Amino acid sequence: MIDDLKEQYATGTSAGEARLAAIVERIKKDGKGRKYDCVVGVSGGTDSSYMLYKAVEWGLRPLAAHYDNTWNSAIATENIKKVLKRLKVDLFTYVVDNKEIDDIFRSFFLADAPEIDGPTDLALAEVLYRAASQHGVKYILEGHSFMTEGVAPLANIYFDGKYIRSVHAMFGRLPMKTYPLMDFAAFMKWIVFKRIRKVRPFWYMAYRKEDARAFLEKDCDWMYYSGHHLENRMTAFNHSYYLPKKFGIDLRNLSLSASVRSGQMSRQEALQRYSEPPHLEDDLLEYFKKRLGLGDEEFERVMRRPPKSYRDYPTYKSLFEKLRPFFYVMAKMDLVPMSFYIKYTSKTGV
Amino acid sequence: MVTAEPAGIERADKLLLPGVGAFDTAMTRIKQQGLLDLLNKKAMVEKVPILGVCLGMQLLTDSSEEGSLPGLGWIPARTLAFKGRLDTGRFKVPHMGWNIVEKHTESPLTAGFGSFEEVRFYFVHSYFVKCDDDRHSILKTTYGFHFDSGVQNGNIFGAQFHPEKSHTFGMRLFRNFARL
Amino acid sequence: MLRTRVIPCLLLNDESLVKTVKFDAYTYIGDPVNTVRIFNELEVDELVFLDITASRQSRRPNFTILEDIANECFMPLAYGGGVCDIEDVGRIFGIGFEKVVINSHAVEAPDFIRRVADKFGSQSVIGSIDARKNLFGRYEVFTHGGTRKVSRNPLEWAQELERLGAGELLLTSMDQDGTWAGFDIKLTASVTSKVQIPVIANGGAGTVRHIGDVVRKGGASAVAVGSMVVFQGKDLGVLVNFPGKKELEDAL
Repeated sequence: MIDDLKEQYATGTSAGEARLAAIVERIKKDGKGRKYDCVVGVSGGTDSSYMLYKAVEWGLRPLAAHYDNTWNSAIATENIKKVLKRLKVDLFTYVVDNKEIDDIFRSFFLADAPEIDGPTDLALAEVLYRAASQHGVKYILEGHSFMTEGVAPLANIYFDGKYIRSVHAMFGRLPMKTYPLMDFAAFMKWIVFKRIRKVRPFWYMAYRKEDARAFLEKDCDWMYYSGHHLENRMTAFNHSYYLPKKFGIDLRNLSLSASVRSGQMSRQEALQRYSEPPHLEDDLLEYFKKRLGLGDEEFERVMRRPPKSYRDYPTYKSLFEKLRPFFYVMAKMDLVPMSFYIKYTSKTGV
Repeated sequence: MVTAEPAGIERADKLLLPGVGAFDTAMTRIKQQGLLDLLNKKAMVEKVPILGVCLGMQLLTDSSEEGSLPGLGWIPARTLAFKGRLDTGRFKVPHMGWNIVEKHTESPLTAGFGSFEEVRFYFVHSYFVKCDDDRHSILKTTYGFHFDSGVQNGNIFGAQFHPEKSHTFGMRLFRNFARL
Repeated sequence: MLRTRVIPCLLLNDESLVKTVKFDAYTYIGDPVNTVRIFNELEVDELVFLDITASRQSRRPNFTILEDIANECFMPLAYGGGVCDIEDVGRIFGIGFEKVVINSHAVEAPDFIRRVADKFGSQSVIGSIDARKNLFGRYEVFTHGGTRKVSRNPLEWAQELERLGAGELLLTSMDQDGTWAGFDIKLTASVTSKVQIPVIANGGAGTVRHIGDVVRKGGASAVAVGSMVVFQGKDLGVLVNFPGKKELEDAL
């Protein structure tokens, strides 16, 4: 799929860059007269921070939007602060109620589902749309790069609003009041009525993570954290412990093979990095158990239970499959990412 | 191990003397619990490392202007009041907050403290210590004037600040004490 | 030299962290323990925790949360909100807090401060004064989270608290709270000139410049900051942050 995408988007070629330039021009035009012309999601991580820098460099006027799931580490908040200060960009934050989100995380844990961080990802998407809508902005820029991150096979990670709602209904204890759930209605509202487009610039231009990081460290006095996504403790738990231990999924596989494929890393180096166990912060497990109210025994018991998947719970999947032609059109219009179309609407998965 | 029991103190190979409150109250409590002789034995005879923190450091001295009772007297020094010696318009009492410590005499307690401009601890006190022998002063701090913020006399150590409330600096100090 | 303390002042509402504007209009900030964890990583000087609900509803402190908070911190901690029982005070210190902030109860039972100071030492008691200007421009003191007016003048009350044994004072301008417009320097100066104990100025901090001003012109020994450390900027998104060391050094 990566190669298909690469061809489709002419990644890293002058044709690709020309297409990107055209998109940037259109964003500027559509945003005239408004305070901001695009929204960029920030997490304190490399991709989003660099995305913001590029947006400003291209002459865009972005609004940075952040979804705070209350599990942030100081590195994340510091990096966000530094980048935004340096680039003089305003921040829009949505903070979910801590007890509510812990209840949702707990539900996924007890459901034996791998997508424990799914609620975070979906909430971020919803928050970006809300921020855009609130300020009359029509474009969301995302720092995703299939070259450095690859695309996860469907079997591994899947999330949608109905899935989250079902799991929470089955295992949750608190009502969902502040959690920004993107259900199908909301999804349609954003893409059909509000017609907010999603653009992934790193799909068009050459993007090397190391260069981005070097720049951020030098120019913004940024701090690098070892590993991927460790600016948030839930993501850290998910990547370094939960997924590998219970589901045998090591997401480093994705980014490492992507880096090898695109020539940014040698195969040898990748294998070596992969053979080292994922880095785990000192009392991360204790923190996780404490916040979710899980005793040691209960935690171990659940960890040992056989894994389930999205197929065991009610989701929108079959609905998405039925609407495959519709989403094809949406993808062509940049209203949904092409990877969404490929992953979510196909019967066989990737 | 946290204890006020004589049995525990008897067995200990290191002692920590914390302290918050008033000089006389603390000295009275020590005497009331019959610990004075035991402590003197541990300090002067067995010579176990003892660290006095905050009021605990002041108790190590001969006497304090805060009270009328004698101190443990393990360090030839006196505890004096800031009030009357400072311009209280400019310098509020108690001395409260983060202040810099400067190395004076070398000591294993302050080992590994690099360039000292960066080392700060959290202070909360209205009385300060003045060593009779300046060599016993291992750390000095400025608050209107220089006073002894860290002391050592053989196996007896004192810290006027609160290492337990001083982030990584405090942890380093405790680690040094533990390694003695 | 003694560095001026810059102290994040965090407000607890039920079990969530919030921020107010003029003691009203709550904005949700996040999980208290995780936020404290972040401040600990940022190595801030000191932290003050005020439980607004406990204060307004005359409830007892939430000891569970206080324990979680104390476990995360390696710097001095102060707690305020519904502190009216000397047993509770002992328990709070046992959990790991250094100081208690006493506001409403000092008015209801003045000798309470005396008892706490005698038992635990003056340095463990922060007398808190919430003040607001009335229509005639004169300052009035409020208790119970700014909901009850008491017939006291901040200056006299400050001196009284000092006499009763408070080790420091937390002086909060209700008018300036959450406005980013700077501290009430006049109020601060009038109090600091009348007492010998340290005064922590609170309410209105928006920039490091404000911090420098209230210290130099207001005589404050320390400053408390609220909105400034939980938002990116005025009317902007939630972002837990703390001014850089150099920034503070330059301003102070």
